[in-house]
Amino acid sequence: MNTTVDWVQLTIVVVIFAGVTAMGFMASRWRSAGHLDNLDEWGLGGRGFGTFITWFLLGGDLYTAYTFIAVPAAMYATGAISGFFAVPYTIVAYPIVFVFMARLWSVSHRHGYVTPADFVGGRYGSKALSLAVAVTGILATMPYIALQLVGMQAVFETMGLGGDDLLAKDLPLLIAFAVLAAYTYSSGLRAPAMIAFVKDILIYVVILVAIFYLPHVLGGWDSIFGAAQEKLAKPNPATGKPTGAFIPGDAGYVSYWTLALGSAMALFMYPHSVTAVLSTKTRNVVRRNATLLPAYSLLLGLLALLGFMAIKANVNVKGLDGLANPQLAIPRLFDQEFPSWFAGIAFAAIAVGALVPAAIMSIAAANLFTRNIYRDFIKKDATPAQEAKVSKLASLVVKFGALIFVLAMDKTIALNLQLLGGIWILQTFPAIVVGLYTRWFHRYALLAGWAVAMLFGTISAYNVVNPATKKHFGGSIANIPGTSTPAYIALTAFVLNLVVVIALTVLFRAIKVPDGKDSTHPTDFTADRGDPGVKDLPEIVDDGGAATAKS
Amino acid sequence: MSRLSAVKPAYWISGVLLVVAVVLPLLVPTYAKVDPHLWGFPFFYWYQLMWVFLSAILVSISYKLLRTEERRRRAAQGLGDPEAPEAGAAKDGDQ
Repeated sequence: MNTTVDWVQLTIVVVIFAGVTAMGFMASRWRSAGHLDNLDEWGLGGRGFGTFITWFLLGGDLYTAYTFIAVPAAMYATGAISGFFAVPYTIVAYPIVFVFMARLWSVSHRHGYVTPADFVGGRYGSKALSLAVAVTGILATMPYIALQLVGMQAVFETMGLGGDDLLAKDLPLLIAFAVLAAYTYSSGLRAPAMIAFVKDILIYVVILVAIFYLPHVLGGWDSIFGAAQEKLAKPNPATGKPTGAFIPGDAGYVSYWTLALGSAMALFMYPHSVTAVLSTKTRNVVRRNATLLPAYSLLLGLLALLGFMAIKANVNVKGLDGLANPQLAIPRLFDQEFPSWFAGIAFAAIAVGALVPAAIMSIAAANLFTRNIYRDFIKKDATPAQEAKVSKLASLVVKFGALIFVLAMDKTIALNLQLLGGIWILQTFPAIVVGLYTRWFHRYALLAGWAVAMLFGTISAYNVVNPATKKHFGGSIANIPGTSTPAYIALTAFVLNLVVVIALTVLFRAIKVPDGKDSTHPTDFTADRGDPGVKDLPEIVDDGGAATAKS
Repeated sequence: MSRLSAVKPAYWISGVLLVVAVVLPLLVPTYAKVDPHLWGFPFFYWYQLMWVFLSAILVSISYKLLRTEERRRRAAQGLGDPEAPEAGAAKDGDQ
């Protein structure tokens, strides 16, 4: 469709990108004690973010560029079940987070935990269990970072960048990535926190304009929904069944709510969500945010409907390779219906939107590596300065891993792994969330339940075959074993996980398998800033014997 | 009975509100239909978008209840208010 570069769009994207880059580097001096040589400063932004900054940070973190591309793409391709479930998903996520996240904040601040795996290790006295949680987190995060790049690529492709030349095709992505890596390295979590402001404001403006302007151009909501209903009811040539679901039928009910609930429970198991939460100043910042973050859910719901607008506008979703790619639906819709300059702003919003979560995710994965693999298994007496150094390097490695993923491998591998990541990450829920309330679960039972569920989830997802392409990992919905009811695999695996954990806990308690040492105390879970033992940043630095924060 | 009544009203009311906010948006059969329309939106779509607001209101009420209860508990235990702006400043001044 767009064979030539649109210079207006490109100029606007480059200017916004350059501005954001400058902000990213300046961020290291923002609200800083002056040293970025320990994990609390580099990896948690000094643990001092209030409600306002956290709202932007979490919003920028959870609602990623990939979400903005993929949700409407799913609506465009298959309709409500795989697309609009994102709305109930982000609705029910916040009451769930409201309940348990404050406890995780408190215990983490009394013990200086930086990652969810730190907490699990301290609570159950089991390095194996904490390793399992850490590895799951890293595995689930890596493809997620890769997908941010896929989102960016869709935008660059629509602007007319790229071509047959391999270097020209990937150069914009390489530049964007080098920039991202450089400022994350130098500024840590402060960089994405600052850039999140720009990203979120741009996204809000773009969506609001799209929601009011596009229906006007396309003939009103009635005709948009009408076009979607008609398209989704058409039989798919490969299966003979309807292409998608405009409104889920009886058979789709369970899929719809299990997708929503499973994703909601998994959302705050992702290390990047935990990183953002632990960077807050007091226990209640996250609760207050649970009341304010639904503003983004509304945004996401409206955004999902852009997928239907793309149907009505009849956009061309053929990629440069000549194959239909629903991921191009939204960029192409903007390109086709907006004036060039505004499409440029929209594309900049998506590209910047990829940078924020990619930065936080790479920091979170690096923290996991440093605390739960490097410090626990490789160098047990690592100083805070060494930890920060290893973490910075690890974040570079993680990002380059993701880049190689996107450039060298087929895009579908990243998609498959991200799908698996959602299934995997939910399996850390029993150890983390249940552990915040009771220690009844036995550490080895948790480990066994995790292993069984990981295996079950992976095999189930592998066995889902896409009816059109005949490829494995065709989706995240499969029949519940022994029934003909399709449900989200992650939740089925989670139930299996719980059953194994409970059964084995009873068994291990009966035969008196020794428990690990619990280094937490019941009062830790309700502690708040300023309480005895709740460490403010300078004290943590002093404890570690590293550079004095106040010199 | 005696154990149940020992639970502070703030906790069980919040509990009920949060359960409502999680369960009702997941009852798909209650809203998987086209009519009635609102501003051109089929019921299925506007009803779920409406729940974004309802859920935010329910969680906000829980927050207010729990905040009040937590303040009371902390005051009874002689702990300071972590939200007070001088909490951090005073600490820095001490050193």
